[in-house]
Formats: sequence, C-alpha cells, structure tokens
Amino acid sequence: MNPRFSLLLFVMAGLVVAFAPLPVPAIAPQARTFRVDARQYAYSPSELKVNAGDTVTLQLVSTDVVHGLYVDGYDISVEADPGQTVTLTFTADKPGSFRFRCNVTCGAMHPFMIGKMTVGTNNWLFRSIGLALLAIVGVIVSVKQKA
Amino acid sequence: MTKIELTRNTFIKNALKSRYPQLAVFIVMLVGYIFAILAGLIGTPVGSHNFSIVFVWIAWWAILILVAVPFFGRGWCAVCPIPLPGEWLQRGAVLGPSEKKPKWLNLRVPKMFRNIWLQNISFLLLALFSSVLLTTPNITGIVLAAMLFAAIGLSTVFERRAFCRYLCPVGGFIGLYSQTAPIELRIKDKQICVTCEGKPCYNGSQAGYGCPWDVFPGGLTKNTYCGLCMECIRTCPHDNIAVNLRPFSADLAKPSTRMDEAFKAFIMLGSAIIYAGVLLGPWGTFKDAAYNVGSGTWLIYAAAFLAIIFVVLPGLFTLGILDMKNTLSLKQRFASLSTALIPLGLMFWVAFSLSFVLTNASYIVAALSDPLGLGWNLFGTANTAWQPMLTALLAPAQTLALVGGLIWSARTAQKAANEVKVSSIPVIFYSLIVTFIMLWLLL
Amino acid sequence: MNRSELLSRFFVITGIILAIGAPLVFWTRTPLIHARMAENGGWNPDVIQAEVGKPLQLKITSDDVVHGFAVGQMDMQSVDVLPGKVTDITLTFDKPGIYTFFCTRWCGLNHWRMRGTIEVSGSPSDPEPSTVPLYVSLNLDLDAPHDSPIVPNEKPSAISGQLLETNLPIDPSAEYYRSHSPYQVFTDLSTTSLTEPQRWDVVAYLWQSNATSESLANGKQLYAQNCAACHGENGAGDGVFADELAAAGESSMQTMEGAMDMMMQSPVDFTDPRRMLGASPALLQGKILRGGMGTGMPMWGSIFTEEQIWDLIEYLYSFQFQYQGAIQ
Repeated sequence: MNPRFSLLLFVMAGLVVAFAPLPVPAIAPQARTFRVDARQYAYSPSELKVNAGDTVTLQLVSTDVVHGLYVDGYDISVEADPGQTVTLTFTADKPGSFRFRCNVTCGAMHPFMIGKMTVGTNNWLFRSIGLALLAIVGVIVSVKQKA
Repeated sequence: MTKIELTRNTFIKNALKSRYPQLAVFIVMLVGYIFAILAGLIGTPVGSHNFSIVFVWIAWWAILILVAVPFFGRGWCAVCPIPLPGEWLQRGAVLGPSEKKPKWLNLRVPKMFRNIWLQNISFLLLALFSSVLLTTPNITGIVLAAMLFAAIGLSTVFERRAFCRYLCPVGGFIGLYSQTAPIELRIKDKQICVTCEGKPCYNGSQAGYGCPWDVFPGGLTKNTYCGLCMECIRTCPHDNIAVNLRPFSADLAKPSTRMDEAFKAFIMLGSAIIYAGVLLGPWGTFKDAAYNVGSGTWLIYAAAFLAIIFVVLPGLFTLGILDMKNTLSLKQRFASLSTALIPLGLMFWVAFSLSFVLTNASYIVAALSDPLGLGWNLFGTANTAWQPMLTALLAPAQTLALVGGLIWSARTAQKAANEVKVSSIPVIFYSLIVTFIMLWLLL
Repeated sequence: MNRSELLSRFFVITGIILAIGAPLVFWTRTPLIHARMAENGGWNPDVIQAEVGKPLQLKITSDDVVHGFAVGQMDMQSVDVLPGKVTDITLTFDKPGIYTFFCTRWCGLNHWRMRGTIEVSGSPSDPEPSTVPLYVSLNLDLDAPHDSPIVPNEKPSAISGQLLETNLPIDPSAEYYRSHSPYQVFTDLSTTSLTEPQRWDVVAYLWQSNATSESLANGKQLYAQNCAACHGENGAGDGVFADELAAAGESSMQTMEGAMDMMMQSPVDFTDPRRMLGASPALLQGKILRGGMGTGMPMWGSIFTEEQIWDLIEYLYSFQFQYQGAIQ
C-alpha cells in the first residue's frame, strides 16, 4: 500500500476516534446533593460522580479556613467560611471529567487543592487511549511497509 | 529534510557574533533574577502574589518547557544569568578578553565528576521538596541565591562554566532534551578543523574565550553539552562554525550509550508521572506527604519517589529488553534504547505543565503590577482576578502532546533498535503503557 | 580597559544595584500590618498607637489565608484582608482608650485569639460612667450549673403563648426578662391555672416580645459569623471545630500539668433545653462577655457592643422556642 495513502487512512481513523459522536445512554437526570468538606489542602470527598443532565448541588463546608470551590469547564464557584455552609447548584450539561479546585488562597499548597468530578463517562480519556493505540499501530505498520 | 544554515544570513550572524545584543539580554536577565531573589526574601509569603514564584515557576517555566527546550534546545542556557557574575570575575571582563587575565585557580573538574550524575542528584534533591519550593517565596529566593553563589564560587576554583556543565539541576534535563530540538550549532567543514592551529575555539584567543562548556566545537555531533553561548563563533578564525535549522530530534538518530544520560531520561519521565499524580490529582494524602518535608509520611513519599525512578521504571524497561540475544551488552542496549524515552519525557512535561500554566497564568499579569505584594499597582493590573485560561483547549492539547510524544518515542525506538539490531516492540509497548498512565492521570 | 568595557561594567553594576536597592528601599518605606493565623503568630504588629481625632491610616495584608479586620466597640464595617493583597483603611477615634482589633473571617481553631490593641492617647472628654454588667449586679455565678429541673416535651410556641397572655401576673419589662431564666418565669406562672405546656408557651411569647425581627436577624448574622464554626450552624454544638476542641480537652486532661487551666470542652449545645431553659439572658451575657476561662469559649467583652450581645442572646433562645414568622 502506498505510504501516503496509509498515512491518510490513519489520520482519518484518528479523526473518527477523536470526534465521532458516541451514543449517549438514556439515563433520566436526577437531582443529587453532595456535602463536600474542605480543608487545607484537600476536599472530602475529592471524587464525585454524576450523570449527564443531573441537577447537582454541592454543599461546601470549610473545616479550617476560608476555602472556595471552582469547577473547571463550568466556570462556576462558591466560597465558604468555617461555620457557614454554602451551596452551589448547577446542571451537569457538559459530559466528561472536570477538576474542581480552590479559588480562594488558603495557604501554601492552595494551587494544588484539587478534586475531580466526572459527568457521565470520561469519553475524552477513552478517545485518547484509542488514539494512542491507533498511533502505535500506525507506527508499526509504517515500519513494516518500509521493510 | 536537510539543514538550513541560519548564520548564512548576515544579519543573524552579526547579531550572534556581536557581544552587545547578548550583553543587553544578559543584563535584563540578571536584573530580573536578582529581583526575583529579593522578592522571594522580602516580598509577601503568599506565592501566588509574589514575583519570585509567579515569574519563576509559572512564567519562566512555561517559556522554558513549552518554547525554549522543544524549539531552541539549550536556548535558555544561551541567556541564563546564573553563570554571569562568576564568569565575568573569572574572565576579568564583561566583554571581550583583556590583556590582563586575573589569576584564578582554573582547575579542571576532576574526571569522576565529568558526567551528569551530579546534575541528576541536584535535580532530584530539588524534586523531593518541590511542593515547598514551588509554593514558598523565601525558599525559592534562597535556592536561586544558592545557585548564583555556587556558580560564582565554582568559577573562582574551576575553569570554564563548571556549575552549568556539571551541577545545574536545570541544565541536566535541558541538555538531554536539546537533542530533540530543531536548532544546532555545528562546524561546517571538518577538514578545516583538522588543519587548524591552536584550536582557538577551545583554547581561546584575543577575539574570544575558549568554550565555557568544555566542548570541542570541532567534535560536536549532538546538542547535549553545547550551551549556545556563541563564543566559538567569535573565536574561529576560519568562519567554520554555523547555527543550523534541522529536523526535530536529529541527534537521536545516533543514540547515546551513557548510563548517566539514560537515568536522566528515567528521572524526568518518572518525575512527570509522579507530579501529575501528586500535584494535579485528587488525592490529598499524597499532597500532605509531599508537602510536610521531614515528616515520616514525607520520608515514605521520598522513598517511593526514588524507588519509582531508580527501580520500578528502569526495572520494567530492563525486563522488556532482557531476552534479546545480542552482541551488545545489556547496559549498552539499556542506554541506547532509553533514548526513546527522551521525546516521551519531554512531551510528558509539556502536557503536565500546560495544566498548571493555563490554570494560573492570570497571576502573571497581577504580579507584574504588584511584584512584592506591597499594594502597588504599577501597570494597573494588580487586581486582575484569578481566571483559568483556554480551559476548553487544555484536554485536547494534552492528548495531542502525549499521543504526539508517543509517536515520536516509537519512531525513536525504531531507529535506536535498528542501530543495535533488536526489536523495538518492547520499548514501544513500554512507552504505550506509561502514556496510558499519564493520560489517565491528567485527563 | 577600553571604553565599551567600562560602559558595559557601568550598566551591569547599575542594574545589579537597582535590582537589589529598589525593592529594599520601597519595602522599608511601606510599613504593613501582617495578618497571620494565630498558630503562625497572629497580627504583627499587634499594638498600634493612635491619637484622638487624628486619622489612623493602616495598610494590612495577609501572609497566609483570608482574614478580616474590624475594631471592637466601634460602629464600623469589617474589611477583608486577603493573602498577598493590601487593604487600606483609615480609622478615626473620638475617645482615648484601648481598643481591640480582631479578625473577622474564621482562620483556624484559634481564629478568635487573633486580636491586637490600638492605644489611643489624648485628653479624655467627659468621664464615662462605667456600667456594671447585669450578671455582676445580680451576683450570678457564671460557672455554676444551671440546669432547668423541668423541660417541655415539645418546643414551646410563642404564637400559642400570645393567645394565653392576657391578665397574667408577669412583668413584661426588659429588666424582668433579662434577669430571669425561662424556668424561673415558668415557675412564676405556677400561680395561674395554665397547664405546664401552656406556661411554656407563655414563656416563649414573653421571650419573643423582647425581640424584634431586626434584632433577631442581626443576632442570626452575628451567630453565623462568630459562633457557628464551633457551636454548629444549627446550634447543636457540632460545629466544624467541635471535634478538635473536644480532643484538645481530652488530651489536656490526661496531662497532670496544666490540667487546671487547659480545660477545653466541646462547645455547648444550644438545642439542649435543660441547659438553655435554666439560663437567664443575664447569665448568657456574662458568659459571652467573660468567655470560658480556658474552655475554648472566647471572651467577647471588648469586641461586641452591648446591643450586639443582647441581639445574639435573643437569637440563641430561638433554638428553644418556636417564634412567630421566619427569622431572615
């Protein structure tokens, strides 16, 4: 096979793996509430799992100093003083994996105070793994072609 | 793709040859560096609002790992201010050689240290308390000052840039990764060097100094140890030295068989994976362990860190390349095949750095206006709110970097394996597995 | 040495001197008050000098976490003191004396210990008559147990109490309310023909009539900002620091030395009718003013005004009584 053609084939396959729409499982959206405790420098729980479309309420409870909670990708946040729980409610309309982090300076390790929220399935991770596999296959094939 | 000689362009050649543009850049860098030390020592202890943390670990680091190293190899070394005061003292001049050379010891670095093991160790020493270093201004200030004074001290005892070549923790990995860069400094015609009298590129002359990096330009085949200081371009009487544009990772076609470099590849690969997990992951226990330097949990963390880098990663790699009946020793196969991890490690660092750089770049704008946290507002941007940038692009960019690095690493593995006549499959498989781990940690 | 070398050396040396000198000069000329968690040293400096009538300009920064700044017994809005940023504030004092400044945003278990003083000098105007707190004039022992022997089965309702209130032998004045515990008023009602639950309802109504919706709202906000972190957002003594205080108490009890003065306890549960109904407002005022003498309960005497404390106390009883209408 012409190497140019097989390269094109692999690029097309890559685009399919990266961007082809995947069937979305029809799970009825629910309302979910999570109590998230915040301390220097971690959230508890630090990993949250919801389904796409859920109405999510996060109750932020700071247990030592003033902390915030900012959700990457959704660009929303709240801030809580110890003794005053605050709530953040939003609709998880964007699927994927999103880090949430503290956005109120709370001490030295503040930039690394991070948790992870997964909405639905972390499709991008699986696509990336697929791309990595495809890339390896492509490299091996291209060598076999030259031989 | 062939090489393009950049210095054929007269403007470029003169700009590089002249000492004045370089000096201007040196002065700016040195002033910035000293200011960063002061800011770290007397400015606010809050890292995100202190010039030293923001401009060293966010701005400089971003430019270094995203631009300077991948595209210019040792380009940072070309403008780094750390060796300058020591070198000026050593030379007795800021510009070209003077008649009176000051009498320093100018000892040759002992053979036992003429490798990058000291740099491997100095990088690991910083890496083990990086959580504190990256977040605490006065620690950053002290470390920056220590490097400056170490460089000055070494320049008064040893010849050339002993700190840069043998001790600098940054130089260790910049050198390794510079092999992937599309820029190089090489001689044009080998025959001219053969008949050259006195080799002023290495020994110095009235036009300039002998290579501060202790490299013989005539023998340069790789970027690893050339600091792009341009001194040899000034001294060569035959105009035989050029700066070329060339394909990426051309140097990796001739894999090195040095163990110190092989382990540097594992150190960088391992630390990228560990940082991605500890600093960017959701596991608070690991962060506590990494931050509480000196505690029992930190000792466990440090032991695990070193075990991953020196035992687990190289061990699994060795297992993969063990049963190859081969004329070359296991050591040589290990070293030359591990060059496949160089582009992989570089892209791991790019993917990891993109995350915290894009998240925190907004601090740069604020720190410009109030570098010491004293309430200034020099450029009106002191109250810029923290706001992550380009968040939608982050995950795709990380995937691109990691998959791109994987392809690059696989191609490098194939070339290296070809050289030593073995199959590249085990190394490719290894790269695939660690890439999966990195993808899972970052995405 | 040629001219270009000389010139180059000049630029290098000037650059180095500026890089070192400029930050040092500006730093020494910017005196800041540094706020740190009490565990890391608290306010620095923690004593400030001022003069009556002369505006005092302060620049405050935080070295670690979010803090706040306010001066006790003064009608001022607190300001936030943020890490790495500088807050400018100007204060003017009408009367000389020693004022307490304090942190207004919870910054760890020892947040309430983060206090300093402003010594305001100047000639005093008319000497102020000093008021003796009510618990002193009533000779109340703040540390004696004050459990109510009888407690209601259900939360007493002020609305029901209002309907029963006409022609009752109790004094609706503030003095009576402040100096009597709910249990004492309940006992004073034994001369009537009301049932026990009905008597508690009247007590609830008496308590509500000594409060307004504004004072309750004010008390609620003061509680949220100052008390909830230890006493719990719902008054149950289960605030975020409650466990730490209880643990500190246990560990200090185990050491022989210091056991006398380090008697940390878990914070009081305001939803417990036994303790609350046996306490008069004057008693509660005393505890709030004086603090807990080593139990971990702060003393608020120099911080809150008398009005603020009465408002807070009115709110505390709302954990025991069903008041009419929601508290905003």
